[in-house]
Amino acid sequence: MTPLAAHCAPTSAHLYSGCGYPAPSVGDFFFRPIATIGGISIDKPLLLAVISGAIVLGFFWLAFRKPKIVPRGMQNVGEYGVLFVRDQIIRPMLGKAGDKYLPFLVSLFFFIWVMNLFGIIPLIEFPATSKYAYPAGLALMVWITFLTIGIKSQGLLGYLKSICVPSGAPWWILWLLVPIEFFSNVFVRPFTLSIRLMANMLAGHLLLLVFGLASWYLFTLSFAPLLFSATSFVVTVIMTALEVLIQFLQAFIFTTLTAFYIADAQAAH
Amino acid sequence: MSGERPGDKGDRPGGGPPEASGWSVFSYMIGGMVLYGAIGWLIGRWTHIPLLFPIGMLTGLGLAIALIIYRFTRS
Repeated sequence: MTPLAAHCAPTSAHLYSGCGYPAPSVGDFFFRPIATIGGISIDKPLLLAVISGAIVLGFFWLAFRKPKIVPRGMQNVGEYGVLFVRDQIIRPMLGKAGDKYLPFLVSLFFFIWVMNLFGIIPLIEFPATSKYAYPAGLALMVWITFLTIGIKSQGLLGYLKSICVPSGAPWWILWLLVPIEFFSNVFVRPFTLSIRLMANMLAGHLLLLVFGLASWYLFTLSFAPLLFSATSFVVTVIMTALEVLIQFLQAFIFTTLTAFYIADAQAAH
Repeated sequence: MSGERPGDKGDRPGGGPPEASGWSVFSYMIGGMVLYGAIGWLIGRWTHIPLLFPIGMLTGLGLAIALIIYRFTRS
């Protein structure tokens, strides 16, 4: 937040109070450590990431603890989730043979989704995925996975050929295109994968902050500011609804592209 | 994204979801510009001709577009 006048708390900043608008900034994405355990300082995003993992793990453990033929209650929801990832992400990309990647992709999808969802849960209101380290860590995992699968299924030379030599290009231009193909397949992919997720969550969180803070800041007992405050509040609600969609979509795209990279690593061109 | 389509698993036209093709195109363009931009910048630093940096970037962009055309329309 931009610094306010000395006598102002962020919560008391209103129009006409002389405090100025506490505009959201990059500072809102850095938190004081809550505790330090063994040299690792625990801050809010880390805590949220750990909680997300625990929620996903706990949910699926509870859902499939005593599986029944006819699913009821939590098992029903869990199966619906797993089948969604299988039928919408894995089957179109990898076919039936891709079912062995189901555990990886299901955990990836739900872990990201829950981390994103924390962006709109009241009182938590921070998506851990808007800190670059979290998407970057996940993308690193995906990167190692698809490189390993590629080398395993096509051999080192075969895989190198398939990520270096673009299909359909004539020989005289090939030597200029090989570096681009290699660079974009090996180095750009993990970056676009992680930055897309981070940037979407960061932008969404900033938007919610801008309109949320504005509706509080403009809340003053006179007609025009009150009107603006109300408008801002309505926009906050609409943006929250949009965020629900985007949070789901980003988790979906991350997982879909992971499946696509795995499929691409398996198939010889 | 309707069910299983055997043989349609690369980023060839019709294979993979539309968003995957879109991001492939995007990463080719970024890759071409960054890679040839870096080469241009290095040679420019070496020969003291700063203009080689933008020339490298534009070359990279052009080559990336050529690659996209070959990859997605003629394979």
